Amino acid sequence: MQQLLNGLFVGSIYALFAIGFTLVFGILDRLNLAHPSVFAASAFIGIELVEVAGLPWWAALPAVAVVGGVLGLVVERVAFRPLKGRADAHFAGLISSIALGGMIIALLQWRYGPDTRRFPAGTFPDGQLELLGARFTILQAAILVISVVLMVALAWLVARSRLGRAMRAVAENPTAARVLGVDVDRVTATTFAISAALGAVAGALFAMNVNSAQLGMGSAIELKGLAVIIVGGMGSLPGALVGGLLLGVAEVLAVQYIGSSWRDLVAFALLFGLLILRPQGIFGSRRLREV
Amino acid sequence: MFTDSTLLFVALSGIFAFSFYAVLVAGQLSLGQAGFAALAAYTSAVLAPDPAEAGDAVTLAVALGTGVVVGAVAAVLLGLPTMRLRGVFLAIATLGFAEAVRILLVNAEWTGGAQGMSVPKIVTPGVAWVLLAVVAYLFWRQGPTRYGRALAAIREDELAARATGIDVGAHRLAAFVTAGAVSGAYGALLAFTMRFIDPGLFDFASAIDGLVMAVVGGSTVWFGPVLGGAFLTLVPELQRAVGLEAGWIRPFLAGLLLLAVILFRPGGLASFFPAGRGTRPLSRVQASGARGDTAADDGPGAPGGSGADTNPAGANLAGTVQASVQPHRRRAQVGAGDVVARLAGVSKDYGGVHALRGVDLELRAGEIVGLIGPNGAGKTTCVNILSGLVPPSGGAVEVLGIDPVRTPVHRVAAAGVARTFQHAKLFGRLSVLDNVLAGAHLVTRGTFLRRLLWLPSARWDERAAVVHATACLERVGIADKAGLAAGELSYGDQRRVEIARALAADPALLILDEPAAGMNRVEAAALGDLITSLASDGLTILLIEHDVGLVMRTCDRITVLDFGAVIASGDPAHVRDHPDVVTAYLGTEAD
Repeated sequence: MQQLLNGLFVGSIYALFAIGFTLVFGILDRLNLAHPSVFAASAFIGIELVEVAGLPWWAALPAVAVVGGVLGLVVERVAFRPLKGRADAHFAGLISSIALGGMIIALLQWRYGPDTRRFPAGTFPDGQLELLGARFTILQAAILVISVVLMVALAWLVARSRLGRAMRAVAENPTAARVLGVDVDRVTATTFAISAALGAVAGALFAMNVNSAQLGMGSAIELKGLAVIIVGGMGSLPGALVGGLLLGVAEVLAVQYIGSSWRDLVAFALLFGLLILRPQGIFGSRRLREV
Repeated sequence: MFTDSTLLFVALSGIFAFSFYAVLVAGQLSLGQAGFAALAAYTSAVLAPDPAEAGDAVTLAVALGTGVVVGAVAAVLLGLPTMRLRGVFLAIATLGFAEAVRILLVNAEWTGGAQGMSVPKIVTPGVAWVLLAVVAYLFWRQGPTRYGRALAAIREDELAARATGIDVGAHRLAAFVTAGAVSGAYGALLAFTMRFIDPGLFDFASAIDGLVMAVVGGSTVWFGPVLGGAFLTLVPELQRAVGLEAGWIRPFLAGLLLLAVILFRPGGLASFFPAGRGTRPLSRVQASGARGDTAADDGPGAPGGSGADTNPAGANLAGTVQASVQPHRRRAQVGAGDVVARLAGVSKDYGGVHALRGVDLELRAGEIVGLIGPNGAGKTTCVNILSGLVPPSGGAVEVLGIDPVRTPVHRVAAAGVARTFQHAKLFGRLSVLDNVLAGAHLVTRGTFLRRLLWLPSARWDERAAVVHATACLERVGIADKAGLAAGELSYGDQRRVEIARALAADPALLILDEPAAGMNRVEAAALGDLITSLASDGLTILLIEHDVGLVMRTCDRITVLDFGAVIASGDPAHVRDHPDVVTAYLGTEAD
């Protein structure tokens, strides 16, 4: 039970990170590899907000989300919009977002140096909760709740709101959406902003969970994010949620029963097996190409 | 300024970049190369003899051989289950494989785990550059061959490639195995360069580096990976040389440069060079026109006949020259009046939608059969069933003696079925000529291996193929646009290129799916004449068209579909006056 719960805490962060990934892929059919850099950046910025500006940890989260949103707009504007209409936009987008992601990490190194940073002592409440014999901190509970609430809110936004309708229209057919009066550029930019804001919150939560931020933390989670969105089904929001939680639990169980050095292999074995058996993922639907 | 080790790493990076190029030319995104390289590096480090005893050359040869074999075998094993994955899915599956390999190596005993194992250093810059040259040579020769064009066709439009008779699965696997072999060679070289190998050399970041090098260099031009490898290796060196301190500035500038290249040079660094501008087909046509002494002034417009005087070689070559006028293989033509294709009681359901209901259709050799009906009547579904793209839900199908339901699409094409698509599906970034050459896949001989050895027969075969393709372009009347990229043509011209591409396969049955869409009246009339003349050559034609006038003028028989069922069938006059047809097209009076 304790292990299961630990898995869910970590998994909820994976899910929140992956859901930003999958949102951009599902709606715009682009893989944004600058996403992990936003994840790392927000962790450092979150620490600075708490340390220098003296914000309580929970108040840093909305601020980090705003910063992440702005970064998302920058990523869209610099790395993706100039490629619009190019035949090689798919590959080029991968590379341009990798390049921009590298620049973001370089800027982080400039501002914060290469060393690991931590939240100042006493940032988090030290109360412990107990549920069904498992013990966990208030922070861990908050991480799970915040992640799930954000993801449910996103699902609601996409399914019900006017913006969500426009997003789904763009996902289905950008040209038709434009003809019908949807401002495709704006929807695209908004999608990037929302995606990056979620990635930013995930980064800050991750830093809080392990109380440290490193320049390489983005690349460490990048592979897991990719695994999650494949397992859940590319572009599927509920899939990313379930996939993230599944991965978190699977990792914790692997450490428990197989050994910590094999932890990462579990994720990839899972991923590989699933891709072979069901390439569209658990929740993904397969799109047939029209003749 | 450049030290030996810089030169060495430029070459190694180039080789690794080529392993990504090998699959990118076929439109596949694979990130598994790091895994292949890792397996190859460790295996060759273990198997190769000690250079102190066997000598550097022997050790290196054994290591390279081991590396190439291990990489290729691993690619076959990984490729068999994953080749049906596309795009990002393939990328992530292969990435998963590479990571799994890395974790296995970290945890295995014989590899020294995360600490790594020491390997003697025997690779010199000279050796590395020679190997890079060999790999580059391979891809340089691969480009303008039947195999190279087939890969490019798959990259541009897999479905259309399949319909022109290219075995997409085999070609994709071949490209993947090439990537495996090249990355295996890289792995073996790296092992005997580093003095010390550990699994970290083959991590996710290294795979990304390889991809970046291939794309930045230019993923459609053979020397692109060399440029990309040099770029990524030299940027940090240059920064060090101009005295930039380590720290954030270096990665920032490297990222900025990379971004600038990818945003402002769509073809990668290779586009700075003339051959990289995507005009390769045009220059080849010019070159081939100039090379063929007497045919020089015929240029790309040369009709089929010019092939005979293109190679005015000795008399002993006359046979070859004569043969080169005709496509290499001619399919046995069907006897006049024989049944070419038959649909019997065919139905097709998509979910609850009945696209086709008990359709009967028979095509006889030399006939032009029209298939008309309102939008959504099931015409294209009929065509897709005939060409093997879609299995019917019920009924029997036979085309040219085979059952397209049980036959892969490229075999249906090989039996003699060629088609165009309702929305023109050309290989957009290839030239018009290359499109048609790709269409001639089934009737030309592979030239890659012979081109590697510079056998003159390869050049003759290529020349013959160009002549054949040009003749097909002549026939549809756009030979003058042979050098343009197909994607840049007007819609009407694209449809004509598509017909030329279909003709290039020398089919027995030609299926035209709305060929006149996007054409004006004059063009449509010319198209009608073309169709009639093709049929008089013995070709069987199934014409799907909304231009009822065109269908009435050209077709011998017409079948009318409405809501998936045949409502009328017979000669044009019969169909025109059929009351159900009038109703289907004009609607009933409300009463």
